[in-house]
Amino acid sequence: MLLFVSTAAPALSLPAATRWSRDLLFHCAGVLTAHIGLALWVTGVAVSLSLAITYFGLIVALGTLLGCRWFARVERRRAGIVLGAPIAERYPPPQDARWSARLHMLLGEPTTWRDFAWTGLAGIVGLTLSSLALTLWGLVLGLITLPAWYWALPDGAELGILAIDTLPLAFAATAAGLTLVPLAVWMVRGLTVVELAWMRWLLSPRPVAAGTAQTPAVTPSPAATTDAAPGGAAAAQDGPPLALPLPLHVSFSLLIGVVMAIIWAATGAGYFWPIWIWLGLAISVALDIIVLRAQARRPGPERWLHLHAELSGMLAALLVILWLLAGAGTFWPFFSLLGLAVLLAVHAIIVYRDRLPLRAREQALVERVDVLTRTRQGALDVQAAELRRIERDLHDGAQARLVSLTMQLGRAEERVAGQPEVAELLRRAREDAGLAIAELRDLARGIAPPILADRGLAAAIEALGRRSAVAVTVDADPDQRPLPVVETAAYFVVAEALTNVAKHAGGAAARVHVQRVGEDLVIEVADDGPGGADPDGGGLTGLRHRVEALDGTLTVTSPTGAGTTIRAQLPCGP
Amino acid sequence: MRAVIVEDLALLREGIVALLRENGIDVVAQAADGPGLERIVSGHKPDVAIVDVRLPPTFSDEGLRAAIEARKRHPDLGVLILSQYVEPVYTAELLASGEAGVGYLLKERVGEVRAFIDAVQRVAAGGTALDREVVAELMRARTASGAGDGALGLLTPREREVLELMAEGRSNTAVARALVVSGGAVEKHVRNIFAKLDLPASNDDHRRVLAVLAFLRA
Repeated sequence: MLLFVSTAAPALSLPAATRWSRDLLFHCAGVLTAHIGLALWVTGVAVSLSLAITYFGLIVALGTLLGCRWFARVERRRAGIVLGAPIAERYPPPQDARWSARLHMLLGEPTTWRDFAWTGLAGIVGLTLSSLALTLWGLVLGLITLPAWYWALPDGAELGILAIDTLPLAFAATAAGLTLVPLAVWMVRGLTVVELAWMRWLLSPRPVAAGTAQTPAVTPSPAATTDAAPGGAAAAQDGPPLALPLPLHVSFSLLIGVVMAIIWAATGAGYFWPIWIWLGLAISVALDIIVLRAQARRPGPERWLHLHAELSGMLAALLVILWLLAGAGTFWPFFSLLGLAVLLAVHAIIVYRDRLPLRAREQALVERVDVLTRTRQGALDVQAAELRRIERDLHDGAQARLVSLTMQLGRAEERVAGQPEVAELLRRAREDAGLAIAELRDLARGIAPPILADRGLAAAIEALGRRSAVAVTVDADPDQRPLPVVETAAYFVVAEALTNVAKHAGGAAARVHVQRVGEDLVIEVADDGPGGADPDGGGLTGLRHRVEALDGTLTVTSPTGAGTTIRAQLPCGP
Repeated sequence: MRAVIVEDLALLREGIVALLRENGIDVVAQAADGPGLERIVSGHKPDVAIVDVRLPPTFSDEGLRAAIEARKRHPDLGVLILSQYVEPVYTAELLASGEAGVGYLLKERVGEVRAFIDAVQRVAAGGTALDREVVAELMRARTASGAGDGALGLLTPREREVLELMAEGRSNTAVARALVVSGGAVEKHVRNIFAKLDLPASNDDHRRVLAVLAFLRA
């Protein structure tokens, strides 16, 4: 008895006589409700599934869920018989009266599904435990009252090998029964604790903190939060599902199993009925183990998959055992097993869909593209910064030195006015230095045009237009400056396009249009020349590469006789 | 003549200072950034400021903007811009800040000592000195963009050549030498240019500036 003290303290604090009578009443009611629950559950599930493809199936399913809720309420009151007060209830009130909102609330509320689970379990675990309790008490009462009715049996009461057909023997049985009373009280107490543990786990409201993740939309009413479950039920919430530790659960089940086998042997070893009790106890223990294992896992879809797999395994084993017990004839569980396997496979595919070969590849490609986009952007930014640095270095380094050299040569020239040959040499040297400067200038301009850095794209394109060998009208007004790398590309698109116009459409007029369209910079250079440009010509291919490196597009429209339009679209971020 | 110089690279700044002093130009102050220009100009009242386009702190067109700003406060100040690049936009902005006493030369022109000193003196005296590269580029663009528009379209090719050389700041004699023609021929061309551009009669120097401006603004 002491073994259970920690699990049901308030109930155990009651006077012993009250306690055993309450346990008995609890199990009497339990046998009754378990049948109702089992009937409701089996009928509801079977009808819903068989009508699943019609709306009627849905209606039956909803009706079943509501029925389970009603059943759970009854069961909470039944637990109150031993606990002193019913298990607390917490159903969030619907947030509005609409039918769809109520439905959503019903289906989204974990309590609904726990009620559903208990309705089914009551028929298996609850029925087994309660039947056991009643059987025990029945046996003890039968023994005690044997003197009153043994004579009514034609061959006396058979107790195993012993047939009780005389009054002394009957009184001996009464004595035996009386000695068995404490054992019965103790064992029934144990059965009560096991069943209560399941009930508390499934039927008590979850603590708000733990429940938040599951029911984000539900705000329990203040009344519900203060309505703490009596008898330390709340304490059972955070711990393992059963207030009963697993080793105790197993050993208690083994004990009951052995006792039943002894009773069976003592009562004539007829049909081996304890097998059904064993089965019920095994299911209780197996469920305990499965739930414990599920709780030990990390929350997430995989946890539910494992739970599903283990429950399916248990059900499959149960079906096979039932088939064996029923004589191992035609293998009738086949379709049930197939159904379980299919459900499990579907669940597994849903959970692991990202790891399917096709999806995994897709996922890998998406990630790869992300990485490449990021690194390319980084590379381009670095490149743009590098180019500007090179341009600055040229300006402050080589170009400045050459200018200084030119100047000193010029000064030297002034001083050798009397020696024309030396002066001539110096002049040539100075001119060469001047050419070197001019070459460096062209180089620097090709890298990063200074006016672009100084004044921005619109001004730089205006300057290009003014400098161009064709008549150009410029309409450029990007409201803010794009990234340097985009700006430079846009500049060179215009520069190259205008050069092409001058080269191939002499005398034509060109129109440059630069505009921000959404997240893109659109550059359009159109001329009214003869058209017929080769979109893969050298200059245009180079431009296309420059634009495509920035994830942009370059299109060339050039029908013969109707001018050429070069259009570049460069993404430049939000 | 009193000059100031604003150039951030000490190597060039000191070279130019030496060059100017050798040629009798008094360099009264030096600076190395945009704000320094205003400081030395108000402090020393020079005739001419020689300014690099690209200066700290921004290293963009800081020098140009500082020079334009200085001309607003000191209208008599001649400004000669030195640049690593030919940039007609900058030239136009500089000219827009006032008609007299502006120059825009590529940096390497300092090696052509005589011409450079001439340019400095001309700008200090209120004339213009545009780099031949700038003029050539402008002229190329004008010709290409259907030079027919405006008064410039009326000029003959020879007159255009003369105008280009005038824009560079050359005197009639220098133009005649460059084109290998007589001084009288050049004078005739210049008169035709003035007439075609409809420039009012005034002293020749001023009309020359106006002609160049008309050319640049076309």
